[in-house]
Amino acid sequence: MLLISYGFGLFLAALVLLYYLVPGRFQWVLLLAASYLFYLIGGGIYILYPMATTVSTWLLARRIGRITRQSKEYMRKQEWTRQQKKEYQLQVKKTQRRWMIFGLAFNFGILAVLKYTNFVLGNVNGLLRVFGADGEFALAGWLLPLGISYYTFQSMGYLIDVYYRKYEPEKSLARFALFVSFFPQLTAGPIGRYDQMNEELYAEHSFCSENLRLGFERMLWGYLKKLVVADRLGPAVVTVISAPEVYDGIYVLLGMIGYTVWMYADFSGGIDIVLGAAEMFGIHLAENFERPFFSRNLGEFWRRWHISLMTWLREYIFYPVSMSRAAKKLSELTGGFFGKEAARKIPVYFGSVVVWLTAGIWHGASWNFVAWGMANCIVMLASQECAGLYRAYHKRFSFSNAKGYRYFEMIRTFFLFACLEMFEYYSFGNVFLMFGNMVSTARFSQLFDGRWSALGLGRADLLAAGVGILLMFLVSVWQEKGRHVRRTIEEMPWLLHYGFIFGMCMMVLIVGVYGHGYDASQFIYNQF
Amino acid sequence: MKRLGARLLVVAVSLLILWAAQRLLEPKYMGRVVEGAFIGEYYQEHTAHDVIFLGDCEVYENISPVVLWREYGITSYIRGSAQQLIAQSYYLLEDVLREEVPDVVVFNVSAMQQYDQENESYNRMTLDGMRWSPAKWKAIEETRVSDEHMVEYVFPILRYHSRWQELEDDDFTYFWNRRQVSHNGYYMRADVRPAGDFPTARRRADYSFDERAWGYLEKMRSLCEKNGITMILMKAPSLYPVWYDEWDRQIADYADEHGLAYINCIQAVDEIGIDFSQDTYDGGMHMNVYGAEKMSRYLGPMLQNVYGVKDRREDPELAAVWEEKCSYYDVCKAEQENEFAETGYLSQFSEE
Amino acid sequence: MEELIEILEEINPDVDYRTEKHLVKSGILTSFEMVLLLTRISEEFGVRIPPGKIVPEIFDSAESIYQMIEELEEEN
Repeated sequence: MLLISYGFGLFLAALVLLYYLVPGRFQWVLLLAASYLFYLIGGGIYILYPMATTVSTWLLARRIGRITRQSKEYMRKQEWTRQQKKEYQLQVKKTQRRWMIFGLAFNFGILAVLKYTNFVLGNVNGLLRVFGADGEFALAGWLLPLGISYYTFQSMGYLIDVYYRKYEPEKSLARFALFVSFFPQLTAGPIGRYDQMNEELYAEHSFCSENLRLGFERMLWGYLKKLVVADRLGPAVVTVISAPEVYDGIYVLLGMIGYTVWMYADFSGGIDIVLGAAEMFGIHLAENFERPFFSRNLGEFWRRWHISLMTWLREYIFYPVSMSRAAKKLSELTGGFFGKEAARKIPVYFGSVVVWLTAGIWHGASWNFVAWGMANCIVMLASQECAGLYRAYHKRFSFSNAKGYRYFEMIRTFFLFACLEMFEYYSFGNVFLMFGNMVSTARFSQLFDGRWSALGLGRADLLAAGVGILLMFLVSVWQEKGRHVRRTIEEMPWLLHYGFIFGMCMMVLIVGVYGHGYDASQFIYNQF
Repeated sequence: MKRLGARLLVVAVSLLILWAAQRLLEPKYMGRVVEGAFIGEYYQEHTAHDVIFLGDCEVYENISPVVLWREYGITSYIRGSAQQLIAQSYYLLEDVLREEVPDVVVFNVSAMQQYDQENESYNRMTLDGMRWSPAKWKAIEETRVSDEHMVEYVFPILRYHSRWQELEDDDFTYFWNRRQVSHNGYYMRADVRPAGDFPTARRRADYSFDERAWGYLEKMRSLCEKNGITMILMKAPSLYPVWYDEWDRQIADYADEHGLAYINCIQAVDEIGIDFSQDTYDGGMHMNVYGAEKMSRYLGPMLQNVYGVKDRREDPELAAVWEEKCSYYDVCKAEQENEFAETGYLSQFSEE
Repeated sequence: MEELIEILEEINPDVDYRTEKHLVKSGILTSFEMVLLLTRISEEFGVRIPPGKIVPEIFDSAESIYQMIEELEEEN
């Protein structure tokens, strides 16, 4: 079931009604049932996959937790020295680690096989061709189970947290199942943390019209971003970026900007729908976007875009890898050649490469995404290296702290991100070719040759998208200043509040891109 | 209390705005493509009809109810629409029976060839005009295309909202009322385009009709039987698409088996007196007004003498109503004939 | 505490670590700098910081970092 469908609207309405009718202690059970129903409708028999992840993770976490408890009890009974206690704990940790690794291998293994087999086979086939071999491997025809990238990461985060002894494992399998398969998160995330979610997820929620109103308004806002802006720009952007031979010059720039705006409207709009839906149940999931285009550098950008993924990568990959023994060894090796300063940086480099490789392939099973990840990695590391230079520069030139300069930095960051995105849709060589082409041959006049009309965006469409983007911008500015937009609207006189919401509904209803388009040419008679 | 009243008023106003937006955005079908207005126009009738015609363009372009009245006193209505599917014909019959019970129902059998809808727009043209009833609901459920949803019929704004970019003067002019575009369901064309050559019909691997089509034919027959209506099967005289002999035989057999009349006008072309160089406006696929009038003169006596449809020209109320229809018909026909004589085509129906 | 401040200033000299309370939350300490910091802490103080403690609550101010270091030193 897509989030954008009549079915989902009906499903959600019925669920909200039931949710506030059942006794508080059954509310989470209802959510679990609804989540499984949602999965069955959207993913059918594939529900066995999240069930496998749920059961395996729950069991392993409980085992790890039990070992912790039992080891502590055991230690208390003994009369050990500190040294002995330390050694014992090390042994205990080793055992627990083995269970955790098993869990990670099993669940990430499922994800890897389902998502990356064809990628691997494709590359193997390529190699075979290079060596002149005759046969090739047939590609698998597997579908990806709904939400597998999200719920796998979310469960594995939980398992690692339990291993780190951040909190006790969840005792109830049913409750844990809800954590893994909570339906709003399945299609677009965010990747949640157990200790951030469990309170609200299982608590009793009494009827609160404010939650319903704010939740609904947020969903409406998400639908506006998706239907008025994203789905309107999408087809045109795809046309431009899929045909670099045709769409060169200034179209490369348009494609870049369009792709970025499209991605943002689509993704953040989807997240708004998800968070709004959850809010209607009194559950506040973590924010995934914080006005990323107000970032002054790429580092800040990655703290404001797809926050839940970046946080996950930082906590469960970047720090552990950078602080791992492997990193240390690498550092010691290089220390011999390049000196202590360089050696200290090795863990950071090592960790970054692993993180960005992971980020790349998380997005998709292709070399394009790997290239994109590595490109971001290189830029981030380079700017880290130059951090000292930047600081000196800012000290010397005081204008660089002025407001105007900040706007310059924001625009620069936008374009930097947009350029890096090119690695996602252009082949590796083409990224540099097209960039060079854009810089050298872009002319405004190119907008008025026939290529524009093939994009299917008339004046009315541009106006609609423009208004949508302007609204998004205004709301972002408001939020960046610290205002909570929905609450501000709530506090307005009722008529104004109602008017805003009704206006938004009308905008989505009429100007949104959904359903059949009316096409007079369809009515031309065709008896043949 | 006052506050609640004020808020309810505001909500009511917003519902009104939604309703107005929906009405504005619905296609009016008053311009080049008028076929979409036919089904709805039926409800403007206030007098009964002894004969109802059901079917697609082969029925609404080939018969003139005004001539049936003027020369035989037969009251009729063509409940036809673009690419009307047999299931839709059945439910339209149910819909008619909510208002009246005719003596005769004539069904054009070309719809047996294609049970499923190909083009969603034709569904809208047939179904949107129906008044809400169990028949409409069932018709939508049965014939909707896979990506159509019932809710889009209940709230047409969901289907037509994208017309905000294509609003025309007609949308405002005809916001409240539409003008009459058919003549008791007849689509008048007074231009002429002689029949040309058609590609020879390819032989088919399979001449069987869809089981579901037979199902609805049977439903129609038994519905007519139950209501004491005489059902007549008809095949209009089109040169294309081809009506295969194998198909003809199956229909004839069915008609025999159930005691229904089956009039194959293709075989009776000479008897009807159709001249394919004069009586068609689109090269032989459909009749123009001259062909339609000839068809009426062929069917009229049969309906009257064989099936006992009454001559009602003596009834003063009917005479008055139909007098108006006849004069409107004559005016339109004269206008079209003049325009065709002057310019060689009809501007309302030509693509700009 | 002084050694900690020294390390911090080596990484990023423009901050007053005695008063700043949002090192992580306001992005002053990027994740790269965090790693450098962690490496230097383990070098200078001989403690290994468990991954469970690499959270903003602890690393937002020099004070809380030092508190954690002291606790880890005690455990040893």
